[in-house]
Amino acid sequence: MNIVHIPDAFIPLTQAAVYWVIALIFIALSLRWARNEMKEEKVPLVAVLAAGIFAIQAVNVPIPWGTSGHMMGAALAAIVLGSPFAAIFVLTLVLIVQGVLFGDGGITVMGANIINMGVIGGFVGFYSYKGLNSAIRNPYPAAFIAGWLSLFVAALVCAVEMAIAGTFPLEIGLISMGLYHAVIGVIEGGITAVALYLIYTARPDLISDNAGVAA
Amino acid sequence: MGRENLIYFGVIIALVIAVAAPFVASSNPDGLESAFFGVFGAKEVQGSDLDEEAAGAAEEQVQEVTGNTFSFASPFPDYSIEGMEKAGEALVIVIGTLLVLAIAFGLGRVLSRSE
Repeated sequence: MNIVHIPDAFIPLTQAAVYWVIALIFIALSLRWARNEMKEEKVPLVAVLAAGIFAIQAVNVPIPWGTSGHMMGAALAAIVLGSPFAAIFVLTLVLIVQGVLFGDGGITVMGANIINMGVIGGFVGFYSYKGLNSAIRNPYPAAFIAGWLSLFVAALVCAVEMAIAGTFPLEIGLISMGLYHAVIGVIEGGITAVALYLIYTARPDLISDNAGVAA
Repeated sequence: MGRENLIYFGVIIALVIAVAAPFVASSNPDGLESAFFGVFGAKEVQGSDLDEEAAGAAEEQVQEVTGNTFSFASPFPDYSIEGMEKAGEALVIVIGTLLVLAIAFGLGRVLSRSE
């Protein structure tokens, strides 16, 4: 086991505070989503997705260049639950437990991790899935690409944050984060598509539930 | 598959992943960490050899760069229990999985009923 999220030392405290403020706004919006949009019968599905995402995030898969990567899960949560705010809700819970209990991801920088994985992952995953699915009318390739893109964009945003923090030079950060996460994204996309297939096969009613649901 | 069955099946899958994680997970640095080691000269971007000494030094250097020396002693750092090897890691990941399940379920119930 090793570091998988931004640790405290990577971002100065003042910048970390700014990320926390932005994250809290999105957390508030995700709680509003949970109050207004989340139906009570969907709660077990939300909980099991959160648990599954926590578990799968512990599985680092080896990629080339002596590196590894793990699934993020935001695209899957957003697609299955029909809202990017669902991803923020789920990923925030996962990140709090990881940070507080396991020291996985810093405390002062948790806002940045919530922005990257929950907000960026959720929005990119949800809207790219929606656009692709309406264009190609097949949810599984759409989910694969949405999963890949959600992880790739989140990694690039993380590289920009690292550059602002002074931790990485921008260009090297973008190249190395982009390179590694372009490969890790294949894992994200693959698991997102397979999990969606299994869920929709077991519960076809969930597909129609999500059709036409706006954010 | 019924509503309940999918949930039970999902919980079982999550627990199986949690138990297997420490045994199957790669201990290579992850994407962010690997990029970090590349920037701080502990590893080539496309190389696979990690200079352990430089990697340790990098973690001190980055604190000087950002000035963020905050540290927090989590009860199970790096998903481990002191003195217990892989079994301990599997145990704490199972506990974490069940905890996330319980919090999400409890909070979800409260919020979904509050309207």
